[in-house]
Amino acid sequence: MTDVRGHGGRVLPANTALAQESLDREGQQLEVVWSDKPGFWGWLTTADHKKIAKRYLVTTFLMFIAGGIEAALMRMQLARPENGLIGPDKYNQLFTVHGTTMMFLFAVPVMNAMGIYFVPLMLGTRDVAFPRLNAFGYWTFLVAVVFMYVSLFANTGPDVGWFAYVPLSGPQYSPGHRVDVWAQVVTFTEISALVAAVNIIVTTFKMRAPGMSLNRIPIFVWAQLVVAFMIIFAMPAVATASTLMLATDRAVSMHWFNPAEGGDALLWQHMFWFFGHPEVYIIFLPALGFITPIIETFCRRPVFGYTAIVMANITTAFFAFGLWVHHMFATPIPELGQSLFTAASMLIAIPTGIQIFCWLVTMWASRPRLRVPMLFVLGFIFTFVNGGITGVMLASVAFDKQAHDTFFVVAHLHYVLLGGGVMPLFGAFYFWYPKITGRMLSETLGKWHFWLFVIGVNVTFFPMHKLGLDGMPRRVYTYLAPTGWGPLNLVATIGAFTIAVGVLVFVINAIMSWRGGEEAGPNPWESSGLEWATASPPPPYNFVHVPVVESRHPLWDTSIDLPVVTGFRKDRREVLITTTFDALPDSRHEHPTGSIWPVYLAGCMAVVFIGSIFSPYFVLGGLGLSLIGLAGWGWQGSKPAGHERVATPALPEGA
Amino acid sequence: MKALRPAGDVGQLPTVTFGHRSLMWWGTLGFMVIEGWTTALLVAAYFYVRQNYQAWPPLRTPYPSLLIPTVNLALMLVSLIPARIVDGKAKKLDGPAVKRWMIIMSVTAVPILVLRWWELWAINTRWDTTAYGSAAWTIVGFHTSLLLLDIVDTLGLTLFFHIRRMPVKAFSDTADNSFYWYFTVGIWIPIYLIVYVGPRFF
Repeated sequence: MTDVRGHGGRVLPANTALAQESLDREGQQLEVVWSDKPGFWGWLTTADHKKIAKRYLVTTFLMFIAGGIEAALMRMQLARPENGLIGPDKYNQLFTVHGTTMMFLFAVPVMNAMGIYFVPLMLGTRDVAFPRLNAFGYWTFLVAVVFMYVSLFANTGPDVGWFAYVPLSGPQYSPGHRVDVWAQVVTFTEISALVAAVNIIVTTFKMRAPGMSLNRIPIFVWAQLVVAFMIIFAMPAVATASTLMLATDRAVSMHWFNPAEGGDALLWQHMFWFFGHPEVYIIFLPALGFITPIIETFCRRPVFGYTAIVMANITTAFFAFGLWVHHMFATPIPELGQSLFTAASMLIAIPTGIQIFCWLVTMWASRPRLRVPMLFVLGFIFTFVNGGITGVMLASVAFDKQAHDTFFVVAHLHYVLLGGGVMPLFGAFYFWYPKITGRMLSETLGKWHFWLFVIGVNVTFFPMHKLGLDGMPRRVYTYLAPTGWGPLNLVATIGAFTIAVGVLVFVINAIMSWRGGEEAGPNPWESSGLEWATASPPPPYNFVHVPVVESRHPLWDTSIDLPVVTGFRKDRREVLITTTFDALPDSRHEHPTGSIWPVYLAGCMAVVFIGSIFSPYFVLGGLGLSLIGLAGWGWQGSKPAGHERVATPALPEGA
Repeated sequence: MKALRPAGDVGQLPTVTFGHRSLMWWGTLGFMVIEGWTTALLVAAYFYVRQNYQAWPPLRTPYPSLLIPTVNLALMLVSLIPARIVDGKAKKLDGPAVKRWMIIMSVTAVPILVLRWWELWAINTRWDTTAYGSAAWTIVGFHTSLLLLDIVDTLGLTLFFHIRRMPVKAFSDTADNSFYWYFTVGIWIPIYLIVYVGPRFF
């Protein structure tokens, strides 16, 4: 029999008299307390982490399709020399919006969305730590999406590349508002990523199921936690650069990047890449986090080297902040600096290699079931290793200077991001779709999707290595026939359409299976994590009873029944707070309900930041309006509650 | 699904906690790290553009004035006293004392924000003259947004405490408000030294 100990080591007595029927009855009471208000108002004000995450997933996936359409248009333009389909101005907007969409509106938020949905479930808790903040993050993100695409259709799409180098993006060379759109889209996405990061960190630190000490946290959650810390240190760099520097240079004539008045164009590159390089790992590490549970499930064994994988994640995060200058090898930086950043860029391959070896060892002595999620993991290993190797090549300054700004770099980054980010993500979609919807995706369509996608990615991007080595620069809207680049470009375009067909198959699969897929049940893959210990889709309160964890694989190692804690109030939402290291039950926390104020405040942010492009008065007006929102939020949060049990350091407990 | 086995009853655990045992404290800490790090990046950028100048401040730019910034720094340090008392009284759940000291905390905090206006002009150059001016204005401006946020929070809490019966957990939020105020004042000390005093030395 397990003893559950609380803060200070006291044993919490178990209420063993509770019969199964009474446990079931508690579910109905929770349903009343945890459900949102009905109708449109409930939809608008919900703060349920699963609903917010689903909105993120749908919105980010639509952005993936939008970014994909932009890519397809560019590939059509480049399919043959001197093609006249798209002119240079539209082409500039297309590649900028494609890059910005894929990085800021798809890759980072989709990984956050997976965390927002699954971290609470995997930790055995009922919600994220700050659900209203979470809702605010989504609505702010939605402002970015709408703003960017309305601007694109109004011919004000950003056109200076997704990293918006100054002086091109400065007031002198980019008059008009195209760059302002970019700067504010970045601001909104950074706010949303930062609030998601704080939520994931506090949820992981304070809301784990009793018994889930640090060394029992699922690797998926470790990856999300490490990435949340990376977001906290990376995103402020680009938010500072875009909002406090570039936007102010453009709007109120500051001189951060104006060399004539002592400013510095290279400062932009430092600030941007200090964020931009960790960004790659902010996308990649969560994807690695998907892979471990998939491999464990389909190999039917715990992953080899849990500690090594966790340490590799943390090491990668540290190194990721020490490589940004390798994006700047073509600028006049000191040789010592170049050597340091070359060494660091090669070094980071080691922790990633450790993880890959751990997975290979796990697979080695087992007989993996080759279901679709597992196929995507194998696709990841093959494709990503290719991208990793060209990364090590580019870490060398001499080679980098040859390949800089050519299609070789385009090939490398797409191998890394599609291989290292999107393939594990698709694997994750197939793996966790049953949990989110209660239905299985079709295995046959899944296999079509997999083969079309993996073949498409390689046919599109492999030729680009050769094109780059032949000297084809990136970001040109056309080229002349005598260059000889035509045939390989045509191959790449055929590959791009193969990818598109693959993604279309997935979309059809997801829509058809939503209602018509095979019923999944709580744990269709016989997997080991806590997210599989509840119904599919999970109820608003996630778990009828908060589970107690005794190992790293609670559903595999708990042979007969699942231990749970009882004793929460039934008349309000409560979550269990546990201690940071050992996850001992510490307190019950009253949990907020849904609220309109996050939506309202996101609207105020839109007024402040979009308005700042046109007049400082919008900033003042937006801030004034947000006072109402803050007051409303605080007023709602300070409703007089019933009897509380207080623990304060200044008074004896229970006072 | 597996059958459930009750293994512990959490009914006796507290429902309101303070400091690192409360979620809000961790959330506040998270935003302090983000804002502290943003300040650090701005300071790094300040010194980065410093390299482009022979003289700092640039030629024909006067040193920043010290009078108002120093007075305001002193005010900020004094404001820590009511903040600390509110913190202690909140942890003792002493409602009347919290109400009283929140007013005093607000009364000391608002003049700091008012003086900040003249403090910005004490940089003695505009943001649009040189990169030096841009850097100094951005750093002080960013800190002003933190100041504004915490003062709004302080005034709001003070008002709520006086117009409605506040739940016990509001005491924990009040202690966290003081916690954030320590940060806002604490991070100002290096900014004051770098932006106002520093140009005389580097």
